[in-house]
Amino acid sequence: MIQGRIHRLRHDPRRTGWGKEIGEPLNYTFQFGTVMDHFPDLLAGAALTIRLSALTMVFGLAIGMACAVAKAYGLRPLRWLATSYIELIRNTPFLIQLYFVFFALPHLGVRLSPNNSALLAMVINLGAYSAEIIRAGVESIPHGQIEAGRALGLRPIQIVRFLILFPALKAVYPALTSQFILVLLGSSIVSAIAADELTAVANTINSQTFRSFEIYTVVTLMYVVIVFGFRAIFTSIYAFAFARRG
Amino acid sequence: MRGIMKSVLAMAAMVIVSLSAAPAEAQTVDEIIKRGKVVIAIDTTVPPYGMLDTNNQPTGIDVEVANLIGKNLKVPVELVTVNSPGRIPALLSNRVDMVVAIFSITAERALQVSFSIPYAGQSAVLIAPKTANIKGPDDLKSLKVGVTRGALEDGALTQMNPAGMNLLRFDDGTSVAQAMLSGQIDAMGGGDYGEIYLRKGAKGEEYEQKFPLRAAHFGIGIRRGNPDLLQWLNTFVYQIKNSGDLDAISRKFRNGQPMIPLPVF
Amino acid sequence: MLRTFTLNEVWILVLAARWTIALSLAAFAGGGTVGFVLAIARISPFRALRYIASGYIQFVQAIPGLMLLLLFYYGLNLFGIRIDAWTAAVLAFTLSTSAFLAEIWRGCLQAVPAGQWDAARSLGLNFPKTLILVIIPQAVRMALPPTVGYMVQVVKGTSLAALIGFTELAKAGAQINTITFEPVLVFGTVAGIYFLICWPLSLLSGYLERQLKVGHVNIQAM
Repeated sequence: MIQGRIHRLRHDPRRTGWGKEIGEPLNYTFQFGTVMDHFPDLLAGAALTIRLSALTMVFGLAIGMACAVAKAYGLRPLRWLATSYIELIRNTPFLIQLYFVFFALPHLGVRLSPNNSALLAMVINLGAYSAEIIRAGVESIPHGQIEAGRALGLRPIQIVRFLILFPALKAVYPALTSQFILVLLGSSIVSAIAADELTAVANTINSQTFRSFEIYTVVTLMYVVIVFGFRAIFTSIYAFAFARRG
Repeated sequence: MRGIMKSVLAMAAMVIVSLSAAPAEAQTVDEIIKRGKVVIAIDTTVPPYGMLDTNNQPTGIDVEVANLIGKNLKVPVELVTVNSPGRIPALLSNRVDMVVAIFSITAERALQVSFSIPYAGQSAVLIAPKTANIKGPDDLKSLKVGVTRGALEDGALTQMNPAGMNLLRFDDGTSVAQAMLSGQIDAMGGGDYGEIYLRKGAKGEEYEQKFPLRAAHFGIGIRRGNPDLLQWLNTFVYQIKNSGDLDAISRKFRNGQPMIPLPVF
Repeated sequence: MLRTFTLNEVWILVLAARWTIALSLAAFAGGGTVGFVLAIARISPFRALRYIASGYIQFVQAIPGLMLLLLFYYGLNLFGIRIDAWTAAVLAFTLSTSAFLAEIWRGCLQAVPAGQWDAARSLGLNFPKTLILVIIPQAVRMALPPTVGYMVQVVKGTSLAALIGFTELAKAGAQINTITFEPVLVFGTVAGIYFLICWPLSLLSGYLERQLKVGHVNIQAM
């Protein structure tokens, strides 16, 4: 095998670039071209990653807001319920929550497809984390503000929306968007239940071509690009929604 | 400062130890014997070839063959658990000397590893509940079919590519089995013999083979460029076939059936 | 091997949890060491060092933990670097833990009032001495709650090692489930064991935060 390698180095000049072999004195030749052949599949996987993450952020945020308000202003049983949910989710791994939704729920009569199971598990997970983050923001709202709102004759819905949630979200925006990024990164775990997002596609290509280093490097870079993209979007949302008003 | 130094040293020690412990670079039979043990990769999620017994210890046809290898080399066996996609990397990285883990012999894999003559064989088949009416690939339309990523059934179904089938690839046999039992998939690719036939699903379904996907034989995998070890392994397989040891192992784990006739190459 | 889910199986899961704890400690030891160096680099007076550390942290924090695992386990293997699931897991977790701890600790170091730096300089202390004698002792107090809180994430993160075939608690649970097929009981027990490990840490973190009366440095994770 070593002889074969020397033979190749002597007769084939080194070339670089996509799809060409880069001869190396390691026991391996890089072939990024193989990965690039599968790029459409990788893009499809990335699209699902983004879709799942975006949907999770919307629904998870809604649950988080509801729980935060419940914990801050609700009656004792409601507070206890919210706390139990939050503590249970935050102290168990996402993988186990995912396994439970996909493998155990059918046993209890609820059967969801891999993609839907993934979405449900991610939403439940984000709901708990964002609840804690938003609650910190909600609790930092001075009571005087709410009383002022009542004095001005605002309806409870208006008070909650404008005087509680809006300022709270603005205050905890960095922590919240950090959590959203973690949702995006955590979406790679749903490959374990055969939801065909980006990591699952990478694994499949790997099992067919065995070009592990090339595939996982390319996919890692894709995740970094997606994350930076979301971070930019979040920054723009902040400028648009929060920075202009009080 | 002392605490930090201790952590750094501990970390470095850990890395060094795990990188240097018992290197498995032995290329010939003599080197293995001289080193004093043989390191063999197995998969414990594929009954009856590899599984865990009531004491959580590995057992099964592959495990018994691996132990016989050690017995014939007169060295102790160190078993390393890998999953299906991890078999070839375990060999190529010198982590193990050989792989005995339902390693189907294919020409494509032979580009990266060498196979001994077969010591066992199995058909990859499509498995589904008894009540499902599936006679051939065309009946898989709009069904969710689960396979272990990179396994024989994955290759076969991907190549067949029946119209309208939704192929779900899981990381290991455990996940596929769990998906089948909980009804998350309508059918699965698997072996013609296995535990799934004995289990009942979440709704009490029982499972059976529907149609064969591909026949395969399992060989012992080793790194390429190792003719000495390969020759020994072929001799070893010939012997356990001839002496009846292989049949005995098969009877133990496959409900009294002897090993199927195996080709040689 | 049809078994029912009995206390024997529960015990097997408890034993598997040892590996979870071992992985967590290894990740924290490694990640803590590297993270400490990075945090110092992030506040050092050398701009190049600051940018390199910042870039590294931003980059690593944008990679899914599972991806790091797969890169180390499968990617390095083909370089002939001998790596098994345990080593790959320790290296990958060390990498990601270092980035997150570096951020937490940097925040705490920077939260020490600027006046402390000035006072140290006027006393003639150079950068290393200032750090060791003045800044770090004060930052440690602030760092304790979020660091303990992050340990919870580390413990939960070890469950990913199951996806490269390492038999810690999550993988043991999956295996037991195929043997007994009681997913509700099995994964319920697995979740319970994780909860028993993580919840006390969470409570401790909250307790420390209240006792030390410091601000909330909020780093969450999955």
